[in-house]
Amino acid sequence: MPEAQRALSPVGSASLAARAPAREFLAFRLGADLYAVELTHVREIVSPPPLTGVPRSRPEVIGICSVRGLLVTVFDVRRVLRLEPELPGRLSRILLANAASGEVVGLFVDEVRQVIRLAPDEIELAAPNFGVELSRHVVGIGRPEGGFVVLLDLATMVDT
Amino acid sequence: MTAGGDRAREEFHSEAQELVETFSRNLLTLDAALRERREDPGLVNETFRAVHTLKSLAGLFGARRMAQLAHHLEDVLDALRLGKLPLTPEVLDLLFRAAELFAAALVAEREQTGDPLPAIGALLREFEQARAGPVAAASGVERYDLDPAMLAVLTEYEEHRLRSSVERGLSLFRVRVDFDLFTIDKALEDIKAQAKAFGEVLTYLPTGSAPSPDRIELDLLLASGEPLQVLVAALGGPHVTIEAIPLRAGGAAAPRTPLPPVVASLPSELPPAARLPADVAIDGGVDPAALRAVSQTVRVDIRRLDALMNVVGELAIVKNALARMAERVRAEGGRQLSSELHSIQRSFDRRLGELQGGILEVRMVPLGQVFDRLARAVRQLGREMGKDIRLVITGADTEIDKLIVEELSDPLMHVVRNAIDHGIESLAERSRLGKPTAGTIALNAFQKGNHVLIEVEDDGGGIDEVALGARAVSLGHLTESDLASLGRAERLNLVFLPGLSTRAEANDYSGRGVGMDVVKTNIARLGGVIDLHSEAEIGTKLTITLPVTLAIVSALLVRVEGRVYALPLTSVAEALQLDEGEVRSIDGREVITLRGQTLALCRLGRVFALPPVAGAREVTRRYVVVATLGARRLGLAVDELLGQQDIVIKPLGRSLGGVRGFAGATELGDQHVALVLDPGALIDEMLAAPLEAARERRALHA
Repeated sequence: MPEAQRALSPVGSASLAARAPAREFLAFRLGADLYAVELTHVREIVSPPPLTGVPRSRPEVIGICSVRGLLVTVFDVRRVLRLEPELPGRLSRILLANAASGEVVGLFVDEVRQVIRLAPDEIELAAPNFGVELSRHVVGIGRPEGGFVVLLDLATMVDT
Repeated sequence: MTAGGDRAREEFHSEAQELVETFSRNLLTLDAALRERREDPGLVNETFRAVHTLKSLAGLFGARRMAQLAHHLEDVLDALRLGKLPLTPEVLDLLFRAAELFAAALVAEREQTGDPLPAIGALLREFEQARAGPVAAASGVERYDLDPAMLAVLTEYEEHRLRSSVERGLSLFRVRVDFDLFTIDKALEDIKAQAKAFGEVLTYLPTGSAPSPDRIELDLLLASGEPLQVLVAALGGPHVTIEAIPLRAGGAAAPRTPLPPVVASLPSELPPAARLPADVAIDGGVDPAALRAVSQTVRVDIRRLDALMNVVGELAIVKNALARMAERVRAEGGRQLSSELHSIQRSFDRRLGELQGGILEVRMVPLGQVFDRLARAVRQLGREMGKDIRLVITGADTEIDKLIVEELSDPLMHVVRNAIDHGIESLAERSRLGKPTAGTIALNAFQKGNHVLIEVEDDGGGIDEVALGARAVSLGHLTESDLASLGRAERLNLVFLPGLSTRAEANDYSGRGVGMDVVKTNIARLGGVIDLHSEAEIGTKLTITLPVTLAIVSALLVRVEGRVYALPLTSVAEALQLDEGEVRSIDGREVITLRGQTLALCRLGRVFALPPVAGAREVTRRYVVVATLGARRLGLAVDELLGQQDIVIKPLGRSLGGVRGFAGATELGDQHVALVLDPGALIDEMLAAPLEAARERRALHA
């Protein structure tokens, strides 16, 4: 655990430690790996409606769709992270998330897993050992109970 | 500021706008009456009341410039109303200018600029001069160098007090006090009470300048027998400055503007005019009648209507789901249930249609709003250019989407200016041609299906197409031989090229570099088109065709490489079959010949770099949709024409902001979304910068 956080965490009983502000993330799967974005950004999870490709858009955008009248631009998280492409499967979902610009964007993922709560000492903030393209979007590594999940920054993923 | 305050302010702006519009509309009617040598006392009264309400509102919202203007105007109108000032064309001119100033002041308020509007002061001084009321008996007041603005606002009573004070040998002082807005009521009373021991506060007036937004500066006119030092010692303070009002040089009474003949008693239905308190009061002291809404209307932010429209769109999807459900029930043998479901669904559909129609109706406003503004401009321009112009308006009650009306004002103004400046001949020329001296400009509006047509017609000299052609050639838009090949109508359309004007020199009113090309572009942005007809010596008629609403547009659905695109019908001229054998290549760009004219061809599949859909059958016969923007045309090659549909265009998200060529997207009803092409952008891209476009295409393919 980084020194700075240790200094900030309240010292004392386990109950106090549990009350330390845990952050909630929504975990999803891409291939065999787990990734997550902060839960507060996520509005909704939907089964992919028909997507309409937008010519001339950046390659990460797989298209637009309408979710109950709302026009949503959908980003393929695989393409954002420069991962190998994969055909959409039965479990594919779109996370509707609030981008910093106020726009609602869609994140196309292979499968949505669960909400995970990470206490500050379960988050490793630096992630220097990934490739450049990936590092840009990684804010840290979550280690919930021995697990391993890559925490992604929504803002950099949809705003380039 | 709280959101509630913002809303109140917005309401103020729109109500003030309405009042200003009423004011100028009344002026136009008064002008017409004056020409026919009729009097309309009822209308003058109504105008007075509109200005009075405006003053109170402006005071309430701290719009000092408007309040000041309204305040003085109210006096002028009162004098007119009471017959103390005759209504002459000169006075009417001043009133028209006041209407313009109100509009400017309102814009300044809306944009929250604190700049003073010097034109208001100038106008007020002219009002002073225009007033020819009975000159007050010399009382010595004239010897004082009093601010005419202050003199102009004295009530009869105050005027009387002023005169009698001066006659009693008292001196006049100006006490300038900078009040805190929140405590002004009490502070003003306090200082009046303090001053009472030394003299009399005759009147007070906001100076129109304030050191900070939460303060207000007032000039108090004090009559006192005490010397200045005594007053300063008694009343002076950090926010108070006192000066003696100087006597005029030479002491001789300069030919003063007479004091305004103002009557203190007002008609019984109006409470005594809340004269100054309305300018400064934050609470209390405001004329209650003025606060009552002037009309039975609710103002709604158009974005809220857009949100409602979205809900209707969602309901349409629910309706479709219901229909599918009914089908399924029938397929599973529930005949009775199915027919009941069907009937519910039909009734739902009907109500939904009504709801959609209702929302659209709410967005509609009469074109008269724009026409009134134009009428004012026509009157003013006619006078300034020494031309006698008769404006004939029909169809002012034709309704169109609020958003369109807002954007229509400037283009129409430009067209009307052109008609007066370039179209209508000089008086001498008209009489030489045996035309009536008064030139006529007709503004006609009417609805035709889903479109509103606006015609601007003048009986002037028509467009000189020979001069126009020569100018287009000299500007390098086309060659002499191009010109020779053009028909008459096409030559007229040259007027829509940038920089074109048949006048050698631009003047103040039109041809200031903003040409018909801009008008055409602006109209096109509203999904409208312009047609031009002109006959030498007979006149020019310009017809603008606009969609009734921007919320729903008619679109042509086309298929390209298996994908569906929508193309707004307003920019579609025609669609025809593409004969591949007729396609020629000029400088690497494909063209076809359409009725003797060259038409650049844009293969959408190629421009958008669309990969063919796997398993799609070979398209053997393609179509060309001719898209137009102004005088420019482009042939869009598509695989299939799917038909026409009314669509709701939604803008693409911000993350797609850099993508060109699309006006937005629309839902087609089966959950599928289709992109809506932006023909203007495509034409710009394909025709204006072919090299750049080619480079881009290469980059895309690379």
